[in-house]
Amino acid sequence: MSQLEVRDLHVTFGGLRAVDGMNFDVEQGEILCLLGPNGAGKSTTLDLICGKTQPTGGSIRFQNLEISQMWEFERARLGIGRKFQVPSVYKELTVAENLSVARSVKPGIWHALTSLPVRNSAKMREILDLVGLADKIGEPAGNLSHGETQWLEIAMLIAQDSRLILMDEPTAGMTIQETDRTARIFRSLKANHTLIVVEHDMSFVRTVADRIIVMNQGSKLAEGSIQEIESNEAVKTAYLGH
Amino acid sequence: MQSRLLYDIIGLALFAGVILFGVPALFGYDGFELNTFSRYLSLAIVSMALALSWGTAGLLNLGQAATFGMGSYAMAMHLKLKASGDNLPDFMSWNNVEALPLIWAPFHSLTFTLLAGLLIPAAVGGLIAIFMFRARIAGVFVAVITLAFLVAFQLVVIEQQGLTGGQNGLTGLAPLVLFGWSVDIYSLSFYYLVGACLMIALVFGLYLTHSKFGLILRAIREDSERTRYFGYNVANYQTIIFSISAGLAGWAGMLYALVLEFASPTYMSVSFSLAIVIWCAVGGRESVLAAAVGAILVNLAEGRLSDVFVEGWHLLLGVLFLMVVMFMPRGIYGVIVDAGRAMRRKPVSKKEAQPFETSLNPKRES
Amino acid sequence: MDVVLNQAFAGLSMASILLIIALGLAIIYGTMGVINLAHGEFVMLGAYTTWALQNHAGLGVVTALPLVFVAVAAVGWIIEKVIVQRLYTRPLDTILATWGIGIILQQAVRLGVGAESRFVRGPQWLSGNIEIGALVMSNYRIFVISFSLAILVVTWLLMTRTEFGMKLRAVIQNRGISECYGIEAKKVYSVTFAYGAGLAGIAGALITPLFSTIPTMGTGLVVDAFLVVIVGGLGSLMGTAAAALLIGEVTAIFSIVINDTLGRIAVLAGIILLIRFRPRGLFPSDIRR
Ligand SMILES: Nc1ncnc2c1ncn2[C@@H]1O[C@H](COP(=O)(O)OP(=O)(O)OP(=O)(O)O)[C@@H](O)[C@H]1O
Ligand SMILES: [Mg+2]
Repeated sequence: MSQLEVRDLHVTFGGLRAVDGMNFDVEQGEILCLLGPNGAGKSTTLDLICGKTQPTGGSIRFQNLEISQMWEFERARLGIGRKFQVPSVYKELTVAENLSVARSVKPGIWHALTSLPVRNSAKMREILDLVGLADKIGEPAGNLSHGETQWLEIAMLIAQDSRLILMDEPTAGMTIQETDRTARIFRSLKANHTLIVVEHDMSFVRTVADRIIVMNQGSKLAEGSIQEIESNEAVKTAYLGH
Repeated sequence: MQSRLLYDIIGLALFAGVILFGVPALFGYDGFELNTFSRYLSLAIVSMALALSWGTAGLLNLGQAATFGMGSYAMAMHLKLKASGDNLPDFMSWNNVEALPLIWAPFHSLTFTLLAGLLIPAAVGGLIAIFMFRARIAGVFVAVITLAFLVAFQLVVIEQQGLTGGQNGLTGLAPLVLFGWSVDIYSLSFYYLVGACLMIALVFGLYLTHSKFGLILRAIREDSERTRYFGYNVANYQTIIFSISAGLAGWAGMLYALVLEFASPTYMSVSFSLAIVIWCAVGGRESVLAAAVGAILVNLAEGRLSDVFVEGWHLLLGVLFLMVVMFMPRGIYGVIVDAGRAMRRKPVSKKEAQPFETSLNPKRES
Repeated sequence: MDVVLNQAFAGLSMASILLIIALGLAIIYGTMGVINLAHGEFVMLGAYTTWALQNHAGLGVVTALPLVFVAVAAVGWIIEKVIVQRLYTRPLDTILATWGIGIILQQAVRLGVGAESRFVRGPQWLSGNIEIGALVMSNYRIFVISFSLAILVVTWLLMTRTEFGMKLRAVIQNRGISECYGIEAKKVYSVTFAYGAGLAGIAGALITPLFSTIPTMGTGLVVDAFLVVIVGGLGSLMGTAAAALLIGEVTAIFSIVINDTLGRIAVLAGIILLIRFRPRGLFPSDIRR
């Protein structure tokens, strides 16, 4: 049984079929990259999995549980985390507070009412060291640069510690060195997490992907290893637009 | 960041010193002045309650006066029954009510009254909150729904003359008897009673804002959508804080009815509700302590200045409020925080110095 | 039955006043996302301007209309320039600021003109009634109804058929891009705010013969008008018109079927439910969000 099973997933936005009959499985501990031209429906696919968008049809099973009708917070509690294409961190909160919010092992109100936010723990420092934000721990997130904001959101997802992490264009706006670092982090995350990564940067995809799915106009165009995808004629056509 | 907690504790200690020792000494233990100040302190509670929902969670409740009014009526009902003895309250006979209405009966009991004044507003606030937040109503729509509720509620209270005394409200109340102590509202003890209530409310409020609960509310205020993907049930968080805030408002209302010795539908008016918003904004909505100080300062100013500018006072208040919204959106609190930061010579970041925005619509990410 | 008919007519004339007020609010909200709580005070200013023109210059209500429009629009324009323009990035704060402006205007009038009610004579030439069976319709109310329809049409034409309307719609859709094409969003905002204020002024002038003119007259009206805007769907003109009709009529009919207060409570409850279940209003438009 795969960790995530997507079957015949559909969604339409006022006539536009943004996702049109997607089928795929994701295995525990693998990194699946979603590729495709702009508007192919990659972000929308992630939206459907994390609950931001309701499907018009189809099923999504996570750890053998049908989740397509669940609330977003319920899916998050089951172990699905999401990084958005537009970096979404809390700009008015400090870096530490952002991580504290993300660290939601016990998301219930009673726990929140009876505990103080963690502002500086060994675990938090470890994560911040990993993404290179250790010296910004007390800064408001609004003061970070675009690249640092990306890092912070990645750090938040690591802190959240979801079993399945959905990453939407995590390296956008990063330098080559930063991208390499991200690749290394992603590979180390593989031990305990499953990742679905939407990316345009092919060299990044080449380093991290275990498997690739190429989308076009809402449906799956090709699936396979990096070599298979790079030699696929249909993919070339979709990208070059013939 | 632990320093924020430290500053709040220092601030609270200073405030407590001024309220508990400074004020009585300053006014020479004059009964009338103490009574006036007790009134300000009870209003400080409702202002800090609004800071909890509006400042911390970004939920602008324009119906705060409704729950405040509920508390005041609960207290007034108890005292009216006491004043009427075995007879029916006078206004009921004027309205041809023959027997004591069922909902009045339990208010013979002081324990019930105190619980009701706290829990009924909290429950009503909670219900409104569930109703709104389950549907993910946010931003200005929260303001509109709570405002409409307030207007409707006040109309009901005025309409139901036999139950509520209508436009006149509940007057001719007996003094409260608390553990055998007949409360004299012009005494120092009464002043300390109200002061203690305010301090308890403030400690509670400060605890809430510094707890993880407070942090998550701030996260929700900034981006409720995002917070859901971390597994938080946003509607529940909003409901709880809304309900707590309503309960505190009810408590304040009870004290207010004691101080003024009557309850009136004007406590539930739109202008009263908006006045609470002013106090909270002037003090600073991000801090419960600042909101309490704001209520005291504005009311103090009103008390002193309205004698001087009998007619012009409201104009002055309008101008003051407009200036605060435009140039000090974080209120006195913001000014102090910015000044403190400037003194420590850390460069003030532009982003942080700006007020928080509550977006009219949820952000849309792709 | 007669009572109901007459009440329906009264409701219609109230609805048409509400429509003019709500149109101004809706345009301002639809364009810049500002909920203008000072709108009721613009109505009040319109009423006082009419009263002043009648008392000091001997102008009739109808003759005064253009002058009132210009005067209140000018006030709106100044307020937009000096205050509202600074708050566009803080929508929730504009509620508070415009409410502060409302208090200031109200108190200024109270201090300057006095708190007692003022009366304005209706125009002589519209003083009669038209009677159809038991239905008695005053000419003045018929005039108000037709005038509000004319305003609706003019506003609609302005939005859809003129260059200004084109610019306005462009700014609503995307301010940044419109500015790249040389549309001055700031100017568009100022003009829109002034126009909305001017409409409120006209409404104020039109109600002077029907109600007494007091400094607080705007407060109740703005709540109703605001509800009309919300019910109608933010930013949609036809929705606003339909909602004004609906709320005006429902209030009028309820007030005879039940009573005034309960009627009003029922309307408020209905509105709360509507926002809860259809937050985009009954007739949502696509132009904004
Ligand atoms: N909420 C929405 N309402 C209407 N249309 C939408 C919505 N979300 C996405 N779309 C449309 O669905 C299509 C797929 O969008 P999506 O964001 O999934 O593409 P993408 O593959 O992530 O593209 P990109 O590489 O540009 O991020 C696009 O045409 C987009 O305009
Ligand atoms: Mg995308």
